Parts: sequence; C-alpha cells; structure tokens
Amino acid sequence: MNANKNFLKAALALAVLALPFLPMVDDYVVHVAVLVMVYAVLAMGLNVLPGFCNLLDLGYVGFYGIGAYTAGILSLNHDVSFWIIVPGAVALGALCGVLRGAPTLRLSGDYFAIVTFGFTELVVLFLTNEIWLTRGPLGMPGIPPVALSLEWLGIDWRYDFFNEMPYYYLGLGMTALVYVVMGRIEDSRLGRAWLAIKEDPLAAASCGIDLMAYKTVAFAFSAGVGALAGCFMAQWSMFLSPDVFKFWESFLVLCMIVLGGLGNIKGAVAGAVVLVALGEILRVVLPKFGLPTETRFLVYGLIMILIMRFMPGGFFPTIAATSKKSRLILDLKARLEAGRAG
Amino acid sequence: MFEQQLFNGLTLGLIYALIAVGYTMVYGVIELINFAHGEVYMLGAFLCITFISALGIPLFPAIALAMACCALIGVSIDRIAYRPLRKAPRLAALITAIGVSIFLQNIAMIIWGSRPVPFPRDAVPRAFSETAFTLGSVSVSGLQVFIYAATIAMMIGLTLIINKTRVGTAMRALAQNQVSAALMGINVNRIIAFTFALGSSLGAVAGILVGMYYNTLSATMGYNAGVKAFAAAVLGGIGSVPGAMLGGVVLGIAETLGAGYVSSQYRDGIGYAVMIAVILLRPSGLLGKSVGQKA
Repeated sequence: MNANKNFLKAALALAVLALPFLPMVDDYVVHVAVLVMVYAVLAMGLNVLPGFCNLLDLGYVGFYGIGAYTAGILSLNHDVSFWIIVPGAVALGALCGVLRGAPTLRLSGDYFAIVTFGFTELVVLFLTNEIWLTRGPLGMPGIPPVALSLEWLGIDWRYDFFNEMPYYYLGLGMTALVYVVMGRIEDSRLGRAWLAIKEDPLAAASCGIDLMAYKTVAFAFSAGVGALAGCFMAQWSMFLSPDVFKFWESFLVLCMIVLGGLGNIKGAVAGAVVLVALGEILRVVLPKFGLPTETRFLVYGLIMILIMRFMPGGFFPTIAATSKKSRLILDLKARLEAGRAG
Repeated sequence: MFEQQLFNGLTLGLIYALIAVGYTMVYGVIELINFAHGEVYMLGAFLCITFISALGIPLFPAIALAMACCALIGVSIDRIAYRPLRKAPRLAALITAIGVSIFLQNIAMIIWGSRPVPFPRDAVPRAFSETAFTLGSVSVSGLQVFIYAATIAMMIGLTLIINKTRVGTAMRALAQNQVSAALMGINVNRIIAFTFALGSSLGAVAGILVGMYYNTLSATMGYNAGVKAFAAAVLGGIGSVPGAMLGGVVLGIAETLGAGYVSSQYRDGIGYAVMIAVILLRPSGLLGKSVGQKA
C-alpha cells in the first residue's frame, strides 16, 4: 500500500518534471501548465487569510497587480533584472498587505470582506488613471523576459527566457517553494496560532495569542505571495493591463480555494488545476455554442453555487475524507461501541 | 454651477437610496450581503426595455411588469440559493451570493449582449427630456421631476409598509431576533421572501430610472451600482432603512461634487473611499445602532 503510494508520487513528480519534453505536448499545453502554476501560487497565497485565519479576502488580486506592475515598470523603464525585482516586489506587496490590514485588524466577517473589496477597486482605478506611471488602459507591452546572466561577474554569458519551457521550470520552482513553505508554516507555531484564531478568536486571545501580531504576519505573508505571482506573470506574459486585476480575478482565485477546500494547501493547488483546465476547455467549447468566452464565468458562478450547496467543505477534503478519514472515524466508532458493549 | 451639481447629485443620490434600501432590508433580516442585488437592478432595466421594444407595452405598465418580474427573481434567488444555506457558515452564503451575481450578469450578457444598449427614446414621454422649470440658476428636467416624485413616493410607501403594517412589524421583529420572532408565530421564510420581493422591485425601478437618466444600459451596470448602493447602506448604518436613504443621498452628492471639483476619473473611487472610511471610523454608520461584532 505505502510502496504503491510512493511509486505513484514518484511517477507523478517525474511526469511533471518531464512534461515539456513529452510527445504530444506542444507550446500551448506548456503555456496552460505555466498558467496553472501562477494560479496555484495565487491560490496558496490567498488561502492564508480565508483558509487559515477565517478572514474573507475579496481583494487579493490587488497584490497580484502591485507585484506585476512593480516588475513591469522596473524592468521596462529602468532595466532592472528579474532577480532583483522579486525580493523588492514581494517586500512592497507585504508592506501594502500590512497597510491594508492594519486598520482592519478590529474588523471581522463581512466588514473585512467589504474593505478588501474596496481596496482592489481602488488599486484598479489607480492603475487605470495614473497614466504617467502605468500607461493606463493602454497597458504595458514589451516587458523584457527573465534573463540569467553572469555579466555582473564580468563573464560574458547571458540566457534569455525566449519561450515557454524555461518559464515552466522557473514556475515549477516557484510553486514548489511556496508549497513547501506553506506546508512548513501550517505545521509551525505560527500556523497553529492562525488555526486557533480561525476557530475562535476570543478563545485564542485568552490563551495568550497576540491576535494583532499574528494577523499582521498573515496579511504580510499572503500579500507577499500574491506579489510574487504578479512578478512572475508580468515577465512571463510580457504585457500588463489594469483589466487583468479586476474583481473577477479575485473571485476566480477564491473559487479555486473554496472548490479545493478552504484551508487545504493541496486543495488550493488542485482547485487551480481544475479551474484553469476548465477555463481552457470552455474557451474552446463555448464559441461552438455561439457564446463569448467571457461567459465561462457563468459556469464558474454555477459551480460555486452548487459546491457551496452540496459540498460546503470543498471537493478535495471531501474526496480525501471518504478514502481515509472516514475509515479512521468508523474504526474509532466501532471500537467505542465494542468498548461500551463490553 | 455649484447649485446645479448639487441638484444633479441629489437626483443620483435618490436612485442610489432606492437600491440601498434593498440591500439594507435583506441585511437587516438575514445578515447577508446580497451581492446579487445589483444584478436584479440591472435585470429590471433590461426587462423594462424588452417589454417596451419587443412587446410594445407602454412605459408605465412596462415598469410595473418589470417590478413584478424582479420581485419574482428576488424571491427565487432566496429560495434557490440562500435558503438552503441559512444554517451554513456565513462565508458559504456570501460566496454563494457572489456566485449568483456572476451567474445573473452572464445570463444577461448572453440574452442582451455585452455592448451598452440605449433606452428606447420614443417610449419616454417628450416632457421628460425638456426643462420643466428653472429655479434660480438650476434647471430641472421633466425626467428629474419624475425621478424625485417616484423615489420619494416609494420611500414614503416603504416607510409606511415597514412601520404600519403587520408584515412590516414582522420584518422588524425578524431583524431583532429570528428565533423569538419564529416563536411568536411569524412564518420566517415567508417574511424573508417578502423582504426580497420588496427590495428587488424597488431595485428594478432604480435600474429603469438610471437607464432613462443616462440613456444607456449594460449587462455590467449592476456591479458598480451594487457596490455604491452597498456603500450607501454602510454609510447610513447597515440594517437601517432611513439610514440607507440618507446614505444614498449623501453618497450621490459626494460623488457628483467630487467628480466636478476633484477628479472625474476617480468618480467611482469616491464611493469606495467613502465606504472604507466609514467602515473604519464608524462601522455602525450615520444612523445605525452599534451592533456587536459577529464573527
């Protein structure tokens, strides 16, 4: 059983690593795979607030936008390297997360959701109207690709990320990093404090958990991951426009984590895979029925309603539970019954 | 100039107030931010012009018909999407509300297209487009007179329903405490359905008035209007009907004056900024009671 599982895991890892070299896989498939990674990182980052701390964030793409525009402006206008932009943009995103979060520390529930929602709308308005900085609705075309270079060491060697394949491996590295870090944090003192806040803020506070401090860390962390995804996206797609960061995008990422199961890191990744794949399939299928591709949100809306109605916990934990947990609980129940009977 | 803008802002504010009361009533009764309310407003406007142009119904019966349809849509939304989740975590209901909103918006896009649609001019009485009278430096159009008359009449009607009728008393009881209201023999689900019907039909009127005022409709118009009306409801104190009316008027004036004197590009931003500021500084709003925070 265990060996079987390890074998499956190894096979999956190998398949993911070798994907761009597999036969039948063309640039389009690799492109979609990279898109999945961007959303997987976004979903894991968003998951921190609603999933770990029970704070519904409806404005997450604001940070995605901040990261993307930081990368776009610095690399296009100031010729700064991707590797220098990344830490800077993540720090800026985290700072914005704290700035947005600090005044809302006292708020919870609907009020928090509404403030985050208003925040994204303001970010989009800023990106649309501050034309001197962002070129406004025209967008920013021609963002230079990511490059590896040893020129700063005086060695004449440079590699530009000219097609999808290097982005695939860069994205894979980013996703794996975020995944591992998320898993470690969930298991740490910090993650357990977040869980306590999620279950009952009042009880957590009376156990000596500093709500303000732990929530602030969550705001910074979640926003920083969003900005990281934004950086990557900007240099990968080489084009930015304020439209990319509207509320729908926040909703889509929210769909992913709710669909996958709130608070479940694997579920967030699974949600990203399923919804991006579904989006691509609908992009092909919808026009055949004479519908614009934008109507895929109709399908998302419907899925959202149905899942909330029939699987309020999300599909990933539900499926995992039926295979593992329920057996455990049944086993426990049987033992209790046996004990009572005896 | 200033007086004219103040007056135009007041006109816009009254329309916001009409949408905001729909939000605030639903929030007052089931504590749910009904994200789909903006879409009901949009559907009201589209249904009205469809009745006029496709079925040849005159304007006023078309408005009444659109109100009835929207009341039905509002009740159906509650029945299908929200009622099964009454006992579920609040997050689930909120996400469902967003889902319904997106679903309806896309349905509208499929039916009426994603381009803006003009309001059929020949259905609107000639008197509406002409200046009815001038008051000092302010010129008032026939349509504005109609908007004032219609919105104020509906506000008075709504206030009477809430304060003087049995069903209004039941609504207020439900807003106080659902369990004890049910114990007093109130049919909770029926009163909630009535609240949805009432709010949705007022939202439909607001959509039609906005369509006539700006002479254009679009499938995405519910989104912005919904956010602004929600801001108005928060501004006045969510759950308070007079508060929503006051909030709508204040927001409409702030927005028009802001667009005129500060920056027209940030016109929509003023609504969001006001909303955020109110939530942070005075979460109970201008006329709201201070409710304890419910996690």
